[in-house]
Amino acid sequence: MNALGDILPGFSRAIVRGDEPPGQINSAYPKHTVSTAIDVYRNNYLGNLHDALAGAYPVVGQLVGNDFFRRLTRAYIGKNPSRSGNLHHYGEQMAAFIAAFLPAQQLAYLPDVAALEWACHCAYFAEDAGTLDTGKLSRLGQEHYPDLVLVLHPACYMVRSPYPIADIWHAHQPGAPDDFHIDLDGGPCNALVIRNDDSVIVGELDDAIALWLSIIQNGTTLGDATAGTLEKHPDFDLQAGLSRLVSQGVFADFLVKGLP
Amino acid sequence: MKSSASHALPCVAGIGLRAPHYREVLQQLPGIGWVEVHSENFFGGGAPLHTLLRVREHYPVSLHGVGMGLASTGPLDPQHLSALARLCDAINPAAVSEHLCWNSSEGTVINDLLPFPYTQAALSYVAARVEQVQEKIGRRLLVENLSSYLSFAHSEMSEGEFLAELSRRTGCGILFDINNLYVNARNLGVDAGAFIRNVPAEAVAEYHLAGYSERAGINEGESCLVDTHNNPVYPEVWRLYEDALRHIGVRPTLIEWDADIPALPVLLAEAAQAQSRMERCCECVG
Repeated sequence: MNALGDILPGFSRAIVRGDEPPGQINSAYPKHTVSTAIDVYRNNYLGNLHDALAGAYPVVGQLVGNDFFRRLTRAYIGKNPSRSGNLHHYGEQMAAFIAAFLPAQQLAYLPDVAALEWACHCAYFAEDAGTLDTGKLSRLGQEHYPDLVLVLHPACYMVRSPYPIADIWHAHQPGAPDDFHIDLDGGPCNALVIRNDDSVIVGELDDAIALWLSIIQNGTTLGDATAGTLEKHPDFDLQAGLSRLVSQGVFADFLVKGLP
Repeated sequence: MKSSASHALPCVAGIGLRAPHYREVLQQLPGIGWVEVHSENFFGGGAPLHTLLRVREHYPVSLHGVGMGLASTGPLDPQHLSALARLCDAINPAAVSEHLCWNSSEGTVINDLLPFPYTQAALSYVAARVEQVQEKIGRRLLVENLSSYLSFAHSEMSEGEFLAELSRRTGCGILFDINNLYVNARNLGVDAGAFIRNVPAEAVAEYHLAGYSERAGINEGESCLVDTHNNPVYPEVWRLYEDALRHIGVRPTLIEWDADIPALPVLLAEAAQAQSRMERCCECVG
C-alpha cells in the first residue's frame, strides 16, 4: 500500500457510494460541514459523468427526453464506474445497459441507436491513419488477392440492426427537418460510420457487402470472406462493393497473409 | 513552410480556448497572447487535433490536463501518459500542466480534482510520479494548486509548502491558480497571504484566474464556494492577483471559463483586464 492508500479508498467510497467519510478528514470549516463538502464532490462526480454521457448520446437524449435521460444516466453511472481519466472514454456499455434497462423496454430500437452513437463518438476521437494505397494494391500480383487481409481505418465502424437506426440518427441531427417519418418495420439497417474530412458520416450498406465487411473486420482474408458472403448472397458483386468501400476510406492498409 | 508560434509561453494574458470559440478564433484571429486547452480533448486525431494544429499556427498553446491523477493510488495510466506524450510531440506546446490531485482509487475513476493529505510520504510518492510524467513527455510539467472543499487532520504541511518542495525535488513548475487559493481561503481558512509570500517565485510559471460560485450547503446557513469556472473573476480574486503580481512577479496569466461560456468578446475583455493589471504592476516595479 502506498502513501495515500489508507485514506483515498474511504474518501472515494464516500463520494461514489455515500459511505461515511474517513475520520482523517477535518470536521470543522468556517461555513460548511464535511457532509456538504462530500455532497459537492458527489455532485461533481455525477454531473461530470452525466455530461460525458449527454455528449456521447445526444440522439438517445432526444428520443427519451431530458427527464428520462437523467434517470437513465443516473442508473448507468450507478452500475458502470468510470475507468479512465479521459471522460471521452466513458459510456461504452450504454447499448447493453439500455437493452437491460426495464423502463426502456418499449423502445426496442434504442440499444442499437446507442450503439451507433457510440460508434460515431469513437470515430470522432479516433486516431488519424492513412487510407489504403490503391496504387500499391494494383501493383500486387492478382494471385495474391485471395490472401489479402484488409486493415480497417480506426475511425470506421459498422453497426447492424433490425431497425432503421441510420434514418433515426439522421432525423435527429442539428438542422434536420422536424416532419420526418420513420417506418420502424422498414427492414434491417447496416449503418457504416466513417470520418471524411474530419466529419463523422453515417451511411448504409446493403446486406451482402455488410456481411462481407463484418467477416473482413475479423481479420479474415479477402478470399475466405468473399466465399463466405457468396454462400448467402450468390449475386454479391465484390468489385463494386470493394471499390465503394475503398473510395469511402474504410480501409487504412492491407497486408498479404503469408508474405512478410 | 508556415512559421509556427514561438515556443515559450509569452508573459501576457491568454484565454482558455473551448469548443464554442474554435471557429470564431480561427476566423478572426483576435490579438491574444496564447491559449490553453484541456489536453484530454485532443487525445486522438480527426477534427479536435486538426483544429488545435491550426490554432497552433497562430498562437502558443498550453496543454492543461485534468485526468492524470498525479496522487492516485494506482499506477499512472500508461495509455493516458502515452496519449499526452503523443499530443506534446504533435503540438510542441509552450507549457504542459496537471493538477495536484488524485482521481482514482481501487479501479474506480472519479473524474474530478480531489485533494489529499499533504504529508512527507505523499510528497515522495507524488514527486516520483511527476518525474515519471516529465520523463515520458520530455518536458517540464507545471503543477497546479487545487480548489478544495475539505482538508485532512494529518496533513504535515500546507499545500503551498507541498508544491514548493515538489518543485524543488522534481524541477516541476508551479501553476498558481489565484481563484483556487481564494476558494480555499474562504472554504478552509487557508492563509492566502502566507501562500503568496512563501511560494518560490522562480518556480511559478503561470497564473490562472476564474470565477467561482457560491453554493448553499445541505444544512440551513451553510455555504461553500465551488470552483465552477462559470463567472467573471471576482473583485477579491483580482486583488489577490495584484498581490501575487507584486510579491511573485508578472507571469503568463490565463482566464479560464468552462461552463456557461460567454461570447468571445467577454472572455477577451477579462483577459484585457488581467493584461492591464500586469502592465500596471510592471510600471510600479520599474
